[in-house]
Amino acid sequence: MVKSSLVRQALILVALAFVPGFVQAIFFWDKVSWRSPVPASEMVTVTQARAWGENTIWVDARPDNEFARDHVPGALPLNEDRWSELLPQFLAAWSPEKKVVVYCSSEGCNASREVAHRLHKEAQLANVFVLEGGWEEWLKEKR
Amino acid sequence: MNDAPTIKHQTSNFLNFVWRIVDVIVGGIFIYAGAIKVFDPVQFAIDIDNYKILPWPIGVGLAFYLPWLEILCGLALILRRLYLGGLSILTGLVAVFLVATIAAKVRGLDITCGCFGHASQNWNFSAHLALDLAILGALLALSFRVMSGNRLQDAV
Repeated sequence: MVKSSLVRQALILVALAFVPGFVQAIFFWDKVSWRSPVPASEMVTVTQARAWGENTIWVDARPDNEFARDHVPGALPLNEDRWSELLPQFLAAWSPEKKVVVYCSSEGCNASREVAHRLHKEAQLANVFVLEGGWEEWLKEKR
Repeated sequence: MNDAPTIKHQTSNFLNFVWRIVDVIVGGIFIYAGAIKVFDPVQFAIDIDNYKILPWPIGVGLAFYLPWLEILCGLALILRRLYLGGLSILTGLVAVFLVATIAAKVRGLDITCGCFGHASQNWNFSAHLALDLAILGALLALSFRVMSGNRLQDAV
């Protein structure tokens, strides 16, 4: 008797909570990035990044061996494994008017988001973007 | 004159009062925690994502849903409506939260709990753990009281 009462009550509460949650999600629909934790304003496509031309610094957030195999021409390696070692080289190439585009292997990888976040927070840089689709997308656009 | 029934009655009333205080405090904590997260669901989604357990879209969905569930269950405890359901859900939520927090620590993730939004962002792991264990203890005590059908106060 208690068990069925507990389950019934729990189900009622679980169902009731959907109502305000759903309404709030609708209200926030355009304000939150549903696909990725990076806000839409900080995501950039290959086409957009290429259009910036010489003003772009490409940052490769993948492991060293993947960077060595192939990378965006002129890209600088900057990954979390060798952050302190690689950051000075990046900062030497950076200037305030440049736009930084960070990429990792694909849409699903987190490395580019983590590196972009650290550049925002630790290096206090503005104009840091994450490449939508990552290295895979670059290769597709190249063909 | 036999004063035993009177003393027993007074003790029973006092215990009931104490348990009601516990209901209100625990319910109030969850209402507060839920309300803070309702006002900043994006930050809560980031906090969920930091545990690296769920995909981002699911984390966002939970960020909109869980705070309201916390608030409703907190109200259930205080108002004593759907009490059993609220108690069981909150106990489950805290247990899952504890496991996720310990797992994150073991994996070396340095994260904020997200339990109380930005209010708890500077708390260290021990503080989070202590509070979560205290709340879980209170919930389990309330559950035990309900399940035992007030046998404790009858034994006094």
